[in-house]
Amino acid sequence: MTTPASYDDIVTTATVGLNQRPLALTSLAGPAGAHASVLDTADPAAALLDAAALLTAARRAGPLTATAATGPAAAVPDTAPELSPLACSVITVALADPAWLADLLTAAAAAGFRAAPPLLPALLDWAARARSMRPAVAGVLGERGRWLAARRTDWQLAVGTHSVIVSEDPAVWETGSRAERRSWLAALRRRDPAAARDLLAAGWSGETGDVRAELLKVLTAGLSEADEAFLEVALDDRKSSVRQVAAGLLAAIPSSAFNVRAVGRAAGALRVERRALRRWLVVNLPGSYDVAALRDEISPAPPSAAIGARAWLLTQFIAAMPLGEWTARLGLDPASLVEMPVQGGFRTDVHAGWRLAATRQADATWAALLLAAGEDSVPERPPAAWPTSAQLAAALPPDARVARAVALLAERRPSPEAAEEAADCPGPWPGRLADAVLAQLGRVARDPRPPHWSGLMLRAAARKLPPGGERDFAAELRALAAACPDAGSWTSEVRRAADTIDHRRRFLKELR
Amino acid sequence: MALAPDASSRQAAAKLAGPAPWAQAGAAGDVVWGLCAGSGKLSYQVIADVSGPAYKCSCPSRKFPCKHTVALLLNWADGLVPEAAQPPAFAESWIAGRAGRADRAAAADRPAATADQEAAAARRAGQRRARVTAGLAELDMWLRDQVRAGLSGASGGYRHMEPIAARMVDAQAPGVAAALRDIAGIPASGDGWTGRLLGEYAQLHMLVRAHGQLDTLPADLAAVVKSHVGYTVARDDVLAGPPVGDRWLVLAARDLLDGAIPARRIWLHGQRTARFAMLLIFDPRGAFGAHREAALAPGTAVEADLHFYPGQPALRAVMGTRHDEPGPASRPEPSSNIRHLLNEWAAALAEDPWLASWPALLSGVPVPAGAGWQFADLSGQAAALVTEGTDIWPLVAISGGAQVTIAGEWSTDGLRPLTAWHGDTAVTL
Repeated sequence: MTTPASYDDIVTTATVGLNQRPLALTSLAGPAGAHASVLDTADPAAALLDAAALLTAARRAGPLTATAATGPAAAVPDTAPELSPLACSVITVALADPAWLADLLTAAAAAGFRAAPPLLPALLDWAARARSMRPAVAGVLGERGRWLAARRTDWQLAVGTHSVIVSEDPAVWETGSRAERRSWLAALRRRDPAAARDLLAAGWSGETGDVRAELLKVLTAGLSEADEAFLEVALDDRKSSVRQVAAGLLAAIPSSAFNVRAVGRAAGALRVERRALRRWLVVNLPGSYDVAALRDEISPAPPSAAIGARAWLLTQFIAAMPLGEWTARLGLDPASLVEMPVQGGFRTDVHAGWRLAATRQADATWAALLLAAGEDSVPERPPAAWPTSAQLAAALPPDARVARAVALLAERRPSPEAAEEAADCPGPWPGRLADAVLAQLGRVARDPRPPHWSGLMLRAAARKLPPGGERDFAAELRALAAACPDAGSWTSEVRRAADTIDHRRRFLKELR
Repeated sequence: MALAPDASSRQAAAKLAGPAPWAQAGAAGDVVWGLCAGSGKLSYQVIADVSGPAYKCSCPSRKFPCKHTVALLLNWADGLVPEAAQPPAFAESWIAGRAGRADRAAAADRPAATADQEAAAARRAGQRRARVTAGLAELDMWLRDQVRAGLSGASGGYRHMEPIAARMVDAQAPGVAAALRDIAGIPASGDGWTGRLLGEYAQLHMLVRAHGQLDTLPADLAAVVKSHVGYTVARDDVLAGPPVGDRWLVLAARDLLDGAIPARRIWLHGQRTARFAMLLIFDPRGAFGAHREAALAPGTAVEADLHFYPGQPALRAVMGTRHDEPGPASRPEPSSNIRHLLNEWAAALAEDPWLASWPALLSGVPVPAGAGWQFADLSGQAAALVTEGTDIWPLVAISGGAQVTIAGEWSTDGLRPLTAWHGDTAVTL
């Protein structure tokens, strides 16, 4: 070899093997060349290893620095205070429990704090993983968090709709990302509802189905009669998700033709007759449906085989009717209507319609009456055809909801549905609900076969018992654990719940 | 437990752990021994040197290490094995074969040994040296065969390397064995693997050549060669060396769980001397709970005496006297930049060509570069960041596109960030 051997030359030879490809080494490239005299002359294999060692040493000792690539501009400095190290340590513990984590983040955001930067990646990961975490995470991001989210597509998609900084530049609408366009349109909707709707309508046919459904939801804010014509167009959309959004919005405009059509379909379905000294609700079963009904999101297929096709139409017609129409048309108050027997065995179908209407229209009066009158669940009826009591209870005012939960827990062995509904009550729980829950948890502790809702109730208690009031619920839970006859996994779960309450108390203190 | 060869050995060892089957168990420095009651009349003689690691057991098991050895180490890690001044006869001969007793006798403040003991120690050291020399000669033959037959023969990875690695354990060159096991993954590491593998072979070849000239090498270089081959230096001998007192800031802790025995590497930086140091702590279970030094947390500092191992660059040390308890410390002010770091690295390699990594304490900005990341300092120089096995995002979050102080390890792969400071808080990455 006449030219000095480079490392690549030697590797090529060694890969094939000296037996196949002899190599006489005399000189080496680069700084290693000065030491070529030490190469073993007796054995070509040793000489090759010597040469490789010299060249490797030269390469290891002389790595090249790179010229720095240009990174993104630094984040804008934050003005909001950063959560204290103690508060951050509580967040770190809560990373394993999304519901609790969301509570903490929401409280931090409400107090004007932002997450410390080292926590941000874990929080953004949660936002990317769980849709329900996004608003809570977006609230504590601060400038640094938004800067960080912009570095990764999955994070940007997760929190973009909640935290994109909206520029008023119209170019965003033309060229921005999906999240940016949505935020931009929402901002325009706040300033000028009509302009936002017209802009959406102008480019409507050029958007993809998913984008149409997403952007249409922006019209929820500032909804008015002026939007009706455009929503009627959207009701004819190819994409069912777009049609559903349009139907929901049209139903929320009291005077809409959509609601007039719904009233027209349902008005004849029920009447009151006096028979044998009692008033009865008499059902006039819909004979068939027409294209207009289909267009208004009435579905001809019952969600369960146990429901007849015409009975299902009846339920949907009633569900689409504004509840106030019944009292006005039948001349009776809601209580009388809910109590009234239904002729022909259609009670379940009629009440299903009202339950659906009460949940959709969030009507507290009807919800309370239906809860008092109805069953928790009806066999063969999925929630789409029979909203659960917990769903109805969500429409109640807070006090009534708590009172109902306390009554449910007064039972010696509440049903799983009742326990779940009580646990669903938003925190912080008032004293009477706390007492009812603790009494049940005490019963569970003595129960050789604890009901399977007990874990759920305990986790809810850990999150919702007030941490900083007159009563020390952590101590009460620990006393409960100490009174447990055997120290099993239940006892340690109760202790963990007590720890969670202590963590929450410390966290809230840090927010002052 | 990571050192058990398979799951069944782990279970078997767990049964033997505890004081019950053991007699004459003891430990001195890194060496642990004991007699384990077996099924027969004679107890098995078990000895282990955790610094190697190296093991010996008189049982007939072909598993290596056997269940008795693993159980002994578990007991040791649990503190069930008492420190003993004098190993029993069965252990002593093995230990003597491994340890460089000649070095020990030379330590200045040691009571004068009798001439007989010195002669015996010298004889044992000579025996070990001969055994290592013979093993390394075999290794060199093997290395030459590799380049004669072609490196593509190594594509078997672990299966290809394991026989020669096991031979190095027998030859009492555990450092070489560990290096061979480390590089067994290279054939599966993607494009250009033959180049990387040849580099490692060449380094080993150079180590064999250097070991052959051990007597003529300068003392520091000889110590470096011996440490890479795996000659053990007793902790007591290191502690007998001169102390370097300083307030030592804990820069980073990195757990190395892939090796034969899980280890924790703790990087320190002297606030007055500006010296780097590294503590290396072994725990067969990877828990480190029993070791006082393992609890040193990044971001804290302790006023203490360090004693460095022989050889240059002096990096590995043991902590001797502590003058206070570790307490919180403020963020260090890095005085170096990337060019400076590379110069230090080159100087360190000139003293120890086998050096694998070097401590770094820098300020800069992590910036995306192609598919990976760079760390760019104020002068516009940048080094590639090693992100494999670490999460880069907390570092990016702390930086926010601005200067951030980090501690890490530099190697030829690039800079591996281990700790970043957010204000005065050290965040482990």
